[in-house]
Amino acid sequence: MPETLPHPDLVAALPRLRRYARVLTGDVHRADDLVQDTLARAWEKRRLWQAGSDLRAWLFTIMHNVHVNQYAVRRREFAQASLDADDGPAAGWEIPVRATQSDRVELAEVLAQVGRLPVEQREVLILAAVEELRYEEISEVLGVPIGTVMSRLSRAREKLRRMNAETAPLKVVR
Amino acid sequence: MSANLPVHEDELHAYADGQLAPASAEEVGAAIVREPALGARVAEIRRQNALLRDVFDPWLAEPMPRKLLGAATGRALRASSRWQPWAALAASLVLGLGIGWFGRGEMLQLGGTPVSFSRQAALTHALYASDANRPVEVWAAEEQRLVNWLSKRLAFPLHAPDLNSVGFSLVGGRLVAGNEKPGAMFMYENTDRQRISLLVRKDGWPSHETAFRYAFEDGVGVFYWIDEDCGYALSGRIDRGQLLSIARVVYGQLAALEAAPK
Repeated sequence: MPETLPHPDLVAALPRLRRYARVLTGDVHRADDLVQDTLARAWEKRRLWQAGSDLRAWLFTIMHNVHVNQYAVRRREFAQASLDADDGPAAGWEIPVRATQSDRVELAEVLAQVGRLPVEQREVLILAAVEELRYEEISEVLGVPIGTVMSRLSRAREKLRRMNAETAPLKVVR
Repeated sequence: MSANLPVHEDELHAYADGQLAPASAEEVGAAIVREPALGARVAEIRRQNALLRDVFDPWLAEPMPRKLLGAATGRALRASSRWQPWAALAASLVLGLGIGWFGRGEMLQLGGTPVSFSRQAALTHALYASDANRPVEVWAAEEQRLVNWLSKRLAFPLHAPDLNSVGFSLVGGRLVAGNEKPGAMFMYENTDRQRISLLVRKDGWPSHETAFRYAFEDGVGVFYWIDEDCGYALSGRIDRGQLLSIARVVYGQLAALEAAPK
């Protein structure tokens, strides 16, 4: 059992952790807080990491759990604090498009469309399509059966396809 | 195989994502030939994947906040733990920040060696570091492609040093003009949006190695050195002590790479 985590691997995983956090929270600042909480948790639980196994997948798992717990707490607070709290799936997707991307309107659209997916579908889609994790790994990260992973993935892709078809009827022409 | 079994939805996704075992992939491949509609769906999934990566990969190139780099080292736990020798290392790198202009003009002198190289480095840096939209030709999200491409153009293997440990993350790189041959430039940025760049060039130097040399050209500080007839210049409008400590990190990584078994 390792007493420490491989520091270079951890630093190398940071940009991906941060990206996943943004996809989960839909907010740049809350994402950084989530990354920080995840790293703190990872260090606390470092003895549970199996040396040689995929550190990135392990960190995603921790991040998913931290997020789910925080989300549950937030929901409860909302429920007690106000009645009109509609903390729906796409609520608070506030990620600005970077200047470097603005030359492609299509990308900004896709980013907004991803934000409209329920978080359960969003995270599966990003882990599969962007992080290119294997479906079995995604199932472990999210703690759901692989059948659930597949149905969420399928629904996410279908929704995205339909949104894309609606917003961009004139696209083609190369 | 002629058992024309229908392709299951899950299999189609797994096929498009390249996650099917070879035997199953062959079967799906055959089904696609029979039913073009399946092929269209696979193409759609792959197009979507590519689009998603176009959207989300640039995020990877954003500078990493110092507090997250600190959290990655478990700094919060340092007081209570004994097993992090690298914490001291990280601290010593950060110390470079505080050195400032101490010793300016005495530590290193400009000798008879490639003045023009340092000047070129400074001018290149000044030109591209101030460019908000296109400081680089290829972004760090495609680091491997960037390195491969530049290596091919310069005709020797290149390596983009990892400067995250000193708070600078790779923005990307570009090809730049040299005297006889082109050079490669890698640009980095920290959370304060300060940029530094590393210029790499092989350009018929007198074949000897030099120690770190410092030049100050048009407001840009440059540490440069020649190693194995390859010239390196690290440029930036940051203080000299910090630039030197980063130059040492670059040098150390390149030296480690050279020493590594091929």
